[in-house]
Amino acid sequence: MKTGIALDIREVRKTFILSHSGAASLKTALLWWKKANREKLEVLNGLTIRVKHGECVALVGRNGAGKSTLLSLISKIYKPTSGEIVVDGRIAPLLELGAGFHPDLTGLENILYNGMILGLSRKEVLERTPQIVAFAELETHIDTPVRTYSSGMQARLGFAIAAHVDADILIVDEVLAVGDYSFEKKCYDYIDEFRRKGGTILFVSHNPDSVRRVADRVIWLAKGQVKMDGSVETVLEAYLAAGEER
Amino acid sequence: MLADLKELWRFRELLWAMVERELRIRYKNSALGFLWSLLNPLVTVAVMWSVFTFLLGNNTENYSAYILAAYLPFLFFNMALLDSAQSVLGSLNVVKKVYFPREILPLASVIGNFIHFVLALGVFFMFLFGVWAFTGFQVAPFTWRLVALPFLLIPFFALVVGCSLLISALNVFYEDVKYILSVFLYLLFFVSPVMYFSETVRSALAGRANGALIETLYHLNPVATFITAFRKVLVPPGRIEIIQDGVAVKVPPAPFDYTMVGVACVVSFVLMVFGYWVFNRMKWRFVERP
Repeated sequence: MKTGIALDIREVRKTFILSHSGAASLKTALLWWKKANREKLEVLNGLTIRVKHGECVALVGRNGAGKSTLLSLISKIYKPTSGEIVVDGRIAPLLELGAGFHPDLTGLENILYNGMILGLSRKEVLERTPQIVAFAELETHIDTPVRTYSSGMQARLGFAIAAHVDADILIVDEVLAVGDYSFEKKCYDYIDEFRRKGGTILFVSHNPDSVRRVADRVIWLAKGQVKMDGSVETVLEAYLAAGEER
Repeated sequence: MLADLKELWRFRELLWAMVERELRIRYKNSALGFLWSLLNPLVTVAVMWSVFTFLLGNNTENYSAYILAAYLPFLFFNMALLDSAQSVLGSLNVVKKVYFPREILPLASVIGNFIHFVLALGVFFMFLFGVWAFTGFQVAPFTWRLVALPFLLIPFFALVVGCSLLISALNVFYEDVKYILSVFLYLLFFVSPVMYFSETVRSALAGRANGALIETLYHLNPVATFITAFRKVLVPPGRIEIIQDGVAVKVPPAPFDYTMVGVACVVSFVLMVFGYWVFNRMKWRFVERP
């Protein structure tokens, strides 16, 4: 496994333009004098975070603190307004399980297609397909279209694919709360195994128990900045105390 | 832009997988999927041919082949643009969750439709062979000009890629683009020589002031120029019936217009580069659309 800095987030800012006009249309583009009601929303305010290889970092913070935006920026879904994000290694983003599934294709076809979206080659996906199917426990349904799956089955398949891309860095956004108890246990087992092998994890959670269970460092985000960064108990205690004060 | 191309190359396997998926969804749920999708052009051409031959009394030789040779490329242009207009917007939920070069989405629509177009051309040649056998082996099913076909397919493909990239990017921010597009494509059908011939246009404009200018303007529409060129390459020349001074006369097809096709090629490649440039400038803002 790799050593050194896995994620280097330097002075990252992200500003969104808020539109109150609703749907996008040519009309709104042409009515230039109405652009005055466009607001800017600063979600991240010069964030600097360094994560070493092998660390497991939990992000906590209130809604709107910028946690999900940060994960999206690391996953290259957004471009930062300013600043730089340097990633060393392959990322597996688990922002929403099964987001890329096509309902009319079978589970097997979706594995191929989703695995390739996550950066595997066709050959690699085909080699791993049996393991993915076994992990998702979908042997009997794998040849039926995904639209016939329950949401739990879709989430299982989504997690199984992401678990098999051989990522160096796992980006998780509160997705472990899906599936039944035994599958949840399987996910945690996978994460433990991933950590044991020296993988890096960055995850968002509102559940203090899962933070304690997995993380070895907690970063508290508030108003787009790092409010506190340190060991699990210190930061979590401060964060929970701040939550009760309100 | 070079960096974007490099990134696209890195994801080329995903692009092929998406093309495959596109075709699979299109032909899915019916064993005769491919044949079903050919039904539309064949029925349309059969209707056009009947109307022009029986109701309007046009006696152009090889008429059905002429219409088909023009309608298939037109349909490719039409379908590729309509599909790619929705490609990014329709996959926005994926785009918001996973990174991959966004241009893959419209490109997969275009390539999927292009493969369908090439397959349809195969059926077109079967049709020509059928006509050949049916007419007692008189008109040969193709000429030596067929070797020029790839040199037409490539720039025409470039034209469609350029337009698709522009439209798919714009449609993310302005959803009315696809409505404007469908009206535009409907009108384009009439200002392109699908049902009629560029020879008809020439003879109608011959006596007029500025006739030559209007004809040049007409052919500055690259779709019109390409369709005429496809006809000349694909169909063995049959005499075309046009109206001259109120009398129907049959004339041999006009020679291949190298100048106008050359202009159309240049326009197509410029549009492709421009479309890719615009798309790359806009693609990072797709997820932030209002």
